[in-house]
Amino acid sequence: MKIKTLTLYLFAWMLFSASFVLPSVLRAEAPAIEPWFQQAVLLKSYQQSYDWLTPWEKREIRTQSGMALVVRLPVSENSETAGSPTKQTLHLLTTAEMVADATLIEATRKGIRQPFQAKLVLMDYAANLALLNIENLEFWDKLRPVEWTPVKSKKKPDPNNVYSLKIKSAQEWEMESGTIQLMAVGHRDVSDSWLPLLKLSGVSKSGQGFPLLQDNETIGMILDTGSGEAKAMPAEMLLEFLAHAGRYPYQSLAHRGFRWRRLPQRSTADYFQIPPEKPGIWISRVFPHGTGADVLMRGDYLTKIGKWPLSHDGKIQHPEWGLSLFDLLFLDQLKVGDSLKLSVIRDGKSIVLQTRVSAYEEDGRTVPLKRVGHPPRYIIQGGFLFQELTLNYLSMWGANWRSRAPIRLRLFLEQNEAVMINKNNNIIESTSGNKTDESTPRVVLVTQVIPDKLNIGYQKLSNAIVLEINGRQIQRLKDVSEAFLFPEAEFHRIDFLPGSDRLTVVLPVAELKQANRRIKQNFRIPKLQSL
Amino acid sequence: MLLVNKISSPEPFLADVVAIAHDSDLALLKVRDLNFYQDLTPLVLGGIPELRSRVRAYGYPMGGQELSRTEGVVSRIEFGTYVHPGIDSHLLVQTDSAINPGNSGGPVTQSGRAVGVAFQSNLRLNDVGYFIPVPLIKRFLSDIKDGKYDGVPEIGVETSSLINPHFRNYLGLPENSSGILVDRVIPHSSADGVILSGDVLTKIEDGQIDVAGMVRYGEQQVTFFIEAENRQIGDLLKIQVWRKGKFHNLTLTLKAPPFGAEMRNNYDELPEYLIFGGLVFMALNRNYIHSPGNLTPSLAYEHWYRELERPRTRREQAILITRVLPSSVNSGYTNLHNFIVTTLNGKSINTLRDLDKMLKDMPADTRHVVFESEWQKMPLVLDYKESLEQQQTILDRYGILAGSNISVQKDKGSQ
Repeated sequence: MKIKTLTLYLFAWMLFSASFVLPSVLRAEAPAIEPWFQQAVLLKSYQQSYDWLTPWEKREIRTQSGMALVVRLPVSENSETAGSPTKQTLHLLTTAEMVADATLIEATRKGIRQPFQAKLVLMDYAANLALLNIENLEFWDKLRPVEWTPVKSKKKPDPNNVYSLKIKSAQEWEMESGTIQLMAVGHRDVSDSWLPLLKLSGVSKSGQGFPLLQDNETIGMILDTGSGEAKAMPAEMLLEFLAHAGRYPYQSLAHRGFRWRRLPQRSTADYFQIPPEKPGIWISRVFPHGTGADVLMRGDYLTKIGKWPLSHDGKIQHPEWGLSLFDLLFLDQLKVGDSLKLSVIRDGKSIVLQTRVSAYEEDGRTVPLKRVGHPPRYIIQGGFLFQELTLNYLSMWGANWRSRAPIRLRLFLEQNEAVMINKNNNIIESTSGNKTDESTPRVVLVTQVIPDKLNIGYQKLSNAIVLEINGRQIQRLKDVSEAFLFPEAEFHRIDFLPGSDRLTVVLPVAELKQANRRIKQNFRIPKLQSL
Repeated sequence: MLLVNKISSPEPFLADVVAIAHDSDLALLKVRDLNFYQDLTPLVLGGIPELRSRVRAYGYPMGGQELSRTEGVVSRIEFGTYVHPGIDSHLLVQTDSAINPGNSGGPVTQSGRAVGVAFQSNLRLNDVGYFIPVPLIKRFLSDIKDGKYDGVPEIGVETSSLINPHFRNYLGLPENSSGILVDRVIPHSSADGVILSGDVLTKIEDGQIDVAGMVRYGEQQVTFFIEAENRQIGDLLKIQVWRKGKFHNLTLTLKAPPFGAEMRNNYDELPEYLIFGGLVFMALNRNYIHSPGNLTPSLAYEHWYRELERPRTRREQAILITRVLPSSVNSGYTNLHNFIVTTLNGKSINTLRDLDKMLKDMPADTRHVVFESEWQKMPLVLDYKESLEQQQTILDRYGILAGSNISVQKDKGSQ
C-alpha cells in the first residue's frame, strides 16, 4: 500500500515538475509542419543548358527538385514584377540554380495533385536567387507569404538550433533539425560575388529553396546542401532582394567594389608609407562597380569602412556577429544607397573618401563570368566556328576545367595585361576598368572547323585565337561579321595569334556562300549566326 | 659511375663517357680496362630498314642476367619527339618488337647489321617501340670526330601546310608547284636573315617539298627537316623559296637550334639557384615547369608563349621565387610559390646571374629590396639590412652550404 502511495506521489510530482520543465522542452521541439503547407511549395524544374561546343544545340535535359517559398513583394508601380496576374504581389522565391536554363518549372502544393506551371520573373544569378510567378489564380488560394525574421545572433540565448523541412514524399513533410555553424561571407565562384551566408550542419535532407527556421520563425532559405552541411541565405539578404525586386530597374545586392590583400609584413607597410601597426587592407584591384569602386584606387590602404575599423585581415567587429569579414556589414549595417565614408592611406597621407553603398554588377571582364538563360553567340563562315571566350565555354572541360581547359585560354582569366593581345601583340588597356560589356575587348576564337571541302587542310585547327580578319582587328564577335564584308580581293584572310596550329588561313569569296549552305545542310545547323 | 657488363664476364668494367648528345639521346662510352674489348667484335652499321621488314632488338628489359632478343617488323619511319631532350624531333623508326625499360641503348639488327639503337616506347599503346636510325648515329659519330659534340643543326622555321588549294591559289603558287608556308623565322636560327615569313619553301637540296612539307627519303616521305638533320653545323643547305611571285634559290649555313638550354631537359648539371632573405630564386626551365604542380598558366606563358607573342618583352631567363625558407625577415611571404620576378628596385632582371650581381652591388644604405612582378599586383618587399644579417643564419638553419651556386656553373650553351 505504501509502495502504491509512493508511486502515485511520484507520478503527481512528475506531472507537477513537467509543467515547469515543459517550456524548455517545447523550445527544443520541432516547429509545426502545417503552416508550411500554405507557405512553401514543391518545385520541379527541367533544365537544359546550351552546348557551348556545338552552340546551336542544347545538352541533355536534367531535372532538379527543391522548394519555393511564398513571398510578398513591396507594391510599386514601376516594379519589374508589376502587372502580375496575381494582383496581390505574391510570388515564389527559390534559388537561381534551381531554375537556371529551365525549360519547364512545375510547382506542386501540398494536397493538390496537379502541378502548376511557374514562370521565371526575375533571376539574380550572382546572389543565387530567383522569383517565380504562377498565372493560374487557383494556385494562390489560401497561400500566405513567409514572414521573415532576422537571424538570432550568438548574443541571444540558444541561438544555434535551427530547423528545415524534410520532404519524404509529396504528402509526407517533416522537420529536421540542424545547427548554425557560423554567419560567414561566402564567395560564389561563377559570379565572383561575396555575400553573407549562414553555414549549417546537420541539415542534410533539405534542399534548395527550403525554409530555415529558428525559434519557429523563418530566418533564411537553404541555397544548397551536401555531406551533412548546408548554406542558407539569411533573411536580411532575402528581404533586400525582395525590396529590390519590387523596384525597376532591378539592382542586385550590396557588394564590395574592390579586391584586397593583407600586407604581408612590416617592411611592406614601411615601403608603402603606412604607419607601423596601423591595421587595414591593401586594395589590389578596383572593380568598375560595387561599393568604393568610384573613389578607391589600387594601392590604397583601407583602414575603416564607415565607423568600423578594419583589422589586418579584413575583419570588422560586427555588432551582432563579432569579428567577421567586412562584407558582413552588407547583412544588416549597410544597404544600397547608404552614404558611406572610407578611410584610406594614399601615398602616405590619411584621407577620407565619401561614397555610397553600391550593388553587385558584372564588370566588363575579358572573359565574361558564367551566364545562364542566354544562348551562346557564334558565327560560322566556311566551317570556321567563331565564338567569344567565356566561362561557359571553358566550363565545357568539366568540373576540373580550371586545370583541364587549354592553358593559353586559361591565361586570359588572369586579368593580366601581359597576356592580352591586340593587333600588334602589344599591351592593350587594362580590361578590368570597363564599366560595360560593350566597351570590353573580348577574345575571339575559332573553336573548331566544321569539315567541308572548302576548308581541307585547316580542319585540325581548334581554339585558335583570332587576331585579324581581312586586316581588321577582331576584339568582339560582331567584328567578325563586319570584317567578312571587306575581303582582300578574291579571298578572306584570317590571322591567328602565334602559337596556334597555323597563323593564317584564307577562304575564297566566290565559294564561301555555297560552302556555308552546304555546311548548314550537312550538319543540320539551324542558323549560321547567332549574335 | 658507369659500369659495363658483358656476357662472358661476371665482373663489371668501369667506363667513362667520351661524348654525349642529349639532343639525339646518344652517348659514346669507353671502358677503362682494355681487356674488356678482347673477344668483342664491332657491329657493322646497316641502313634504314624497309617498312614492314623484320628487325631484332637486344637488351635487358627490366634488368635480368640473360640477354633478351625480341623480333618484330618496322611499322613506321617518321619524325618524332625524342623524349630524353623533350623538345627535339628527329627521324625515328617504330617497331612492334618489344622495347621496354632496359632495352634502351641496345642494338636493333637486321641481317646481322645494326640498324639502330633502341631508345623509347609508347607506354599508352601496345607494341610500339622506337629505335634511333643509323643516319643519326653516323651523324653523331662524325660530329664528335673533332673531340666535341656540336649538335644536330636545325633550319629554324615554323611552317603551315598548303594542303588547301585555295591558299596555294592565294599565294599565286604555280599550278604544278608545291611547298610549305613559312609562318615564323626563329631569331638567330640558320634561316634568320635568309628565309622570310610568308615564303613558300618549295625545294630543299634537290628534293621537291610537298604541300604537307614532306620530301622523299628512301622509300618514305618524311619532313623536309631531314635534310638539315643529316648534316653538320656549318654545312651549307640549298633551299628554293617562292617569294612575291618568283622562285629564289637560297643557301643556308646550318646552325645549332636557336632555343635556349632552358627549353630542353637538362642533365648532368645542378639547377642554378640563389638565396636572398630566405627567398629561393631559380631560372624557369623545362625541368622545373614539368615538375608536379608547376605547369601553371603564368609559368607556361613565360616559358612558351611570351617568346611567340611578344618577343620584344622576353628576358633571357624568367626568374622565379620557387619557395621561401621561413625566417623572421620573410614572415608573411612564407607560402609564396612560383612568384615570377620582373624587376628589383625598379631595374629589370634579365638573368639569375644579373640578379646575383644586382643584389651584391646594392648600395649599403638601401632600405628595402623590392621585387615586382608583371603577374602580381603587390610587390614583394624585404628589409635589406635584415636580409643580409639573417642570410647565414637561414643557410645554417636549413642546412644549405652556399647562398648561390651560380659561379660554379659553366656557361650555358644550347646543348
